[in-house]
Amino acid sequence: MITHHHDAAIAAAIGVGLRAPHVAEIIATRPALGWFEVHAENYMGGGPALAQLGAIRRDYPLSLHGVGLSLGTAEGIDDGHLRRLRSLVERTEPMLVSEHLSWSVSGGVYLNDLLPLPYTEETLDIVAGNVAKAQETLGRRLLVENPSSYLRFRHSTIPEPEFLAALVERTGCGLLCDVNNIHVTCANLGGDATDYLDALPAAAIGEIHLAGHARVVRGGKTLLIDDHGAPVAPAVWRLYRRALGRFGMVPSLVEWDKALPPLVILLQEARVAAGVARALADADACAA
Amino acid sequence: MLALREVQAAFRRGLLDGDDNALAALVAADGIAATERMAVYRNNVQTSLTDALRDTFPAVCRIVDERFFAYAAHAFLTGYPPRRACLAEYGAGFADFLAAFPPCRELVYLPDVARFEWLMNRAAHAADAEALAPSSLAGVAAADAPRLVFRLDPAYGFLASPWPVDRIWRLNRPGAQGDETVDLASGGVHIEVGRCGPDVVFRALDAATFAFRQAIAGGATLDAATATAFAADARFDLGAAVADLFRDGAVVAFTLAPEAVP
Repeated sequence: MITHHHDAAIAAAIGVGLRAPHVAEIIATRPALGWFEVHAENYMGGGPALAQLGAIRRDYPLSLHGVGLSLGTAEGIDDGHLRRLRSLVERTEPMLVSEHLSWSVSGGVYLNDLLPLPYTEETLDIVAGNVAKAQETLGRRLLVENPSSYLRFRHSTIPEPEFLAALVERTGCGLLCDVNNIHVTCANLGGDATDYLDALPAAAIGEIHLAGHARVVRGGKTLLIDDHGAPVAPAVWRLYRRALGRFGMVPSLVEWDKALPPLVILLQEARVAAGVARALADADACAA
Repeated sequence: MLALREVQAAFRRGLLDGDDNALAALVAADGIAATERMAVYRNNVQTSLTDALRDTFPAVCRIVDERFFAYAAHAFLTGYPPRRACLAEYGAGFADFLAAFPPCRELVYLPDVARFEWLMNRAAHAADAEALAPSSLAGVAAADAPRLVFRLDPAYGFLASPWPVDRIWRLNRPGAQGDETVDLASGGVHIEVGRCGPDVVFRALDAATFAFRQAIAGGATLDAATATAFAADARFDLGAAVADLFRDGAVVAFTLAPEAVP
């Protein structure tokens, strides 16, 4: 039984990643979407980019997704970068602010990728300290996203979902559950995606990410690459359905970066996400 | 067991220098060689930073072609990796790097094309600033005017080149068509880059106006900037030059430098 209540809640929960080539069309056509997410680092200067973001913010809720804070760096997060993020938060008043369980700064060099961490007690102390500092400076809760991984450190002792749960426990942060990243990481490192999902602390999940990935063969074995360059894979849609079943209708985002298609394709993916949510809501209603 | 700081330093060296040995010992192979796994990250870093440089220096890329650009970008990002997370701010040293990069030594104008594109990139991302009205100077006594220090809108940038860089850029900018050519011997140019609303704009200035505005942008007093302009051309018109600065909305703040002790 579909109710209007469900439809409205689902429509409000589905967003897409805002990418520069789509901005003018979005401002002109105001597509029916719940919200947009942007990479915070693209808006830390001034000029037309920030002005356009303001125009979109007037009509839609916004989520700021950082890629450069380097929450996992052993050197401590960069105060200057954190201040710039705070200014952007103050300026855009986003509904969500998120970052990654990864690192990108070493020796003062910014490596521009979401690099993997060994999951140890030492790392947990470091990440928890950095998350706490970020939350204190921003004056709000941060969502921390599970990364896509291509390697595992031998000295890791804590499974990733348990590490995230411990981080939530220590800092009060929330989690951004990227179901594509779970699929990619489990395929690359060996692991069961549904077990991973089930090990996450449901109450902490504040957002879900959906994206496509690529497949490469290395040494006769397949590696999945999280390139955000394809439609969401069927296995990832199944994982999304399971995630909604566990976490409820949390804000869900479709991301696309590589080989960016026309906006209409992203909107189509957003409709698929809404369809998954609606089917689940219907099933729940029938079971009730 | 290495401390996280050491793990990250080893990872950084592996990504930038291609030396995976220290890191490989730390990585579980799980059926795929550790070096293959690390190559995924190295590829992400190299291609994303090369893409960022190509976005900022499209005409340089077009002049040297994609393959050479990727080669030069690789050498640059290995030696001068970014130190900040905003990639629009990466590449300040690329022009100087190209000037010293032996494989493109014969393209003598290339570093100035890169300098020009860097100024346009800076202008595009400069913080928004409110222009001052000329009436804001009403309280400044005429005797104090030489000590005025104007702060210009941060979008402004200045480039003096012995090459016709603006015309070279026009022929190689994104989307440029045709097979027009530029005579390299046709002379240099004094370019001012700025922003008009959302658009990055540039124009050629006469030598005195260029000297004046560049000095002002560099924080010189009105007196010192005027001297620089007169040195370039004795016909320089100071009153008109100051009026033009305000008409262009270029001045966003001013202070008075301390009086010289007699």
